Amino acid sequence: MMRNKIIVSVVIATFIAATVPGASAQTQDPTKVELKLKLPKPMFIGTPRNIRTPNLEAVTGRPRAPFFVPAGTKLLSAGKPVAASDMAPVIGEVSFVTDGEKSGEDGYFVEFGPGKQWVRIDLKESSALTAILVWHYHSQARVYRDVVVQVSDDKDFVNGVTILYNNDHDNTSGLGIGKDKEYIETNEGRLIDPKGIKARYVRLFSNGNTSNDMNHYVEVEVYGLPGK
Amino acid sequence: MKKTAWWGTFLVILAGALFLRTAALGLRPMHHDEANQALKFGTLLETGEYRYDKNDHHGPSLYYLTLPVARAAGHRLTASLDETVLRLVPALFGAGTLLLFLLLRDGLGRGAALFSGLFTAISPFMVYYARFYIQETILVFFIAGLLASLWRYSRRPSAGWAAAAGFCAGMMYATKETSIIAFAAVAAAFMVASASRGSGRPGPGERGRLRPRARHGLLGLAVALAAAGLLFTSFLRNPGGLWDSLLSFRVYFARGAEAGWHTHPPSYYLELLAFSKFGASAPVWSEALVLLLAAVGSVAAFRKGGEGERSLSLPRIVFVYTIVSFTVYSLIPYKTPWNALPFFLGVILLAGHGAASLAGASPKAGVRVAVLAVLAAGALHLGIQCRRANFVLYADPRNPYVYAQTGTDFLRLVRRVEALAALRPEGRRMLIKVVAGPYDTWPLPWYFRGYTNVGYWPDAPSAGAVGDAPVVVASADQAEAVGDLLGNRYHSEFYGLRPEALLSLYVRNDLWERYLSGKAGT
Repeated sequence: MMRNKIIVSVVIATFIAATVPGASAQTQDPTKVELKLKLPKPMFIGTPRNIRTPNLEAVTGRPRAPFFVPAGTKLLSAGKPVAASDMAPVIGEVSFVTDGEKSGEDGYFVEFGPGKQWVRIDLKESSALTAILVWHYHSQARVYRDVVVQVSDDKDFVNGVTILYNNDHDNTSGLGIGKDKEYIETNEGRLIDPKGIKARYVRLFSNGNTSNDMNHYVEVEVYGLPGK
Repeated sequence: MKKTAWWGTFLVILAGALFLRTAALGLRPMHHDEANQALKFGTLLETGEYRYDKNDHHGPSLYYLTLPVARAAGHRLTASLDETVLRLVPALFGAGTLLLFLLLRDGLGRGAALFSGLFTAISPFMVYYARFYIQETILVFFIAGLLASLWRYSRRPSAGWAAAAGFCAGMMYATKETSIIAFAAVAAAFMVASASRGSGRPGPGERGRLRPRARHGLLGLAVALAAAGLLFTSFLRNPGGLWDSLLSFRVYFARGAEAGWHTHPPSYYLELLAFSKFGASAPVWSEALVLLLAAVGSVAAFRKGGEGERSLSLPRIVFVYTIVSFTVYSLIPYKTPWNALPFFLGVILLAGHGAASLAGASPKAGVRVAVLAVLAAGALHLGIQCRRANFVLYADPRNPYVYAQTGTDFLRLVRRVEALAALRPEGRRMLIKVVAGPYDTWPLPWYFRGYTNVGYWPDAPSAGAVGDAPVVVASADQAEAVGDLLGNRYHSEFYGLRPEALLSLYVRNDLWERYLSGKAGT
């Protein structure tokens, strides 16, 4: 009988805690009351600016500090073959990724469909990589989601895969939780330090951006020490 | 066309207009301006209080007209409101404009009224802003009402039509300050049309010109004053509201001249409607069909001969109204797309007249069929663009009617905060701090209307210690300062608000870990 009463009391207490806002806090310490905060209200204001034109200015941050690489470093990716998760892009050609054109204007970027997409650059030989620069789309302040950069000597990225950069902080793309920060695209591109890792293939993922669900690449540059 | 066929066609067009305006009204994220209006209405809904603000928000009609709709839908609190119920108000007025065309049938012609109805129903531009919780579509409705009432009065003067005209004029004034442009355009239209008619006698039951009887004029004026006065004074609770409505012109004249970032060249509206293409990947947008047909309709309005020579000609009235309002709007430096709606109403009526004139220009059945086939193809093109503008690229900057629109990515931020609040014991009483200038704040207050502990500061210094909130939102220009204040105790991520406008969401690490572990468990 006593046991039943306890069960009923626990059930009622749980119900109250679950349905009455703040009830659990009140039962923990009856001497305390909720602090009623007086918070500032939003200011009303007219229509904001409509922006449709490209803007090459960096939105935040300062110019990137100089980045030092070993002597003999060369651009390895120029004109190298590119494969992609979607070989029929919505706009542009897959080859734009390594064609050396970094302009933010129309006609210089390749656009892939919505959701998770990747591009893979074949450097043709395994080399010590010293820098990777990525420009997704820099004519507008936007952030690309779930940016992951992997390198490997395996074309299929099954063996010997190293993740150099991952800002998929909630594992949306299923490649693991990343700790790197999201960043706003600028004309400086995103510099990733491969720390001399040796690889032949570089694969880059993204998953839409803050302006739309599409994926874009203006250019990817991979620097390294050829054949080393 | 037989009477039953005409009515059947009209009802189909009306049903189409209603469908395009009311389907999936919650699809597009709330625009900055819509969110402002929505919360202003929320105050009226919850407290019954409204005070006209001469500096912003335009007239009171939008809020008072929303009240019965929201109450009928069972809403008593701002938190329970949604986009659909709010946007339903302009949507219904947008479709209702077609009903007013019925009053213009004898002046435009039955075929012209049908064509005008069709173009209104499927115009991407008209539909887009009929799904937008701002004043413009309501203003267009009452302009059409004023034109129709005055037209009916000119045909057969009566106290009823005088009162109807007065009511529409009062509601126009209570809707938006720019109604004075329409008043001037309508007055000019009736004057010019009167002056341009021939010297013959009017037809049976017709008046040669609009010459209101004194008592009718007074009645109309009284009704206009009563309608506007009641709304501006919040039903006599704020007597100064009516005077403030006059003072507001000083504000809006200054704003119109110093348009700032809303300054556009005189050709802006014409280009917007005739041909728009933003970027290589963008589709071409054009309502040139309507513009071209309006040009045909304008020429047809001034053809020699016919009834229009001795009595008032409605196409001429519409032509002058359109030219005057288009010119004034084009010359004002301050321009936003929705400001083109009042003169576009005239364009569409003229286009209807033009289409009917073309369709009836030849007695040969083959030619008529060919003309109708071309018009049908043009209408199909408009319909395709209408679908694209309102149901596909509704928030995409490549859509010419999208103007400072909140992007769809913003809704991810809203969903993220909802998911985080669900993990907190206090739920929607979770403390949220927003550090952003007013242009980067909206429409957050609308989407955070269900949260009871949200504070808004324009910059980091005024926000003080922000680290006591589990969730902080900052605009891009404040992100660095806020990030410094929060240090590494918070996880951050970016969300798009509008093109070139980003928001940073900061989530305290303990809450973020709970979020991740909950996500991993699902």
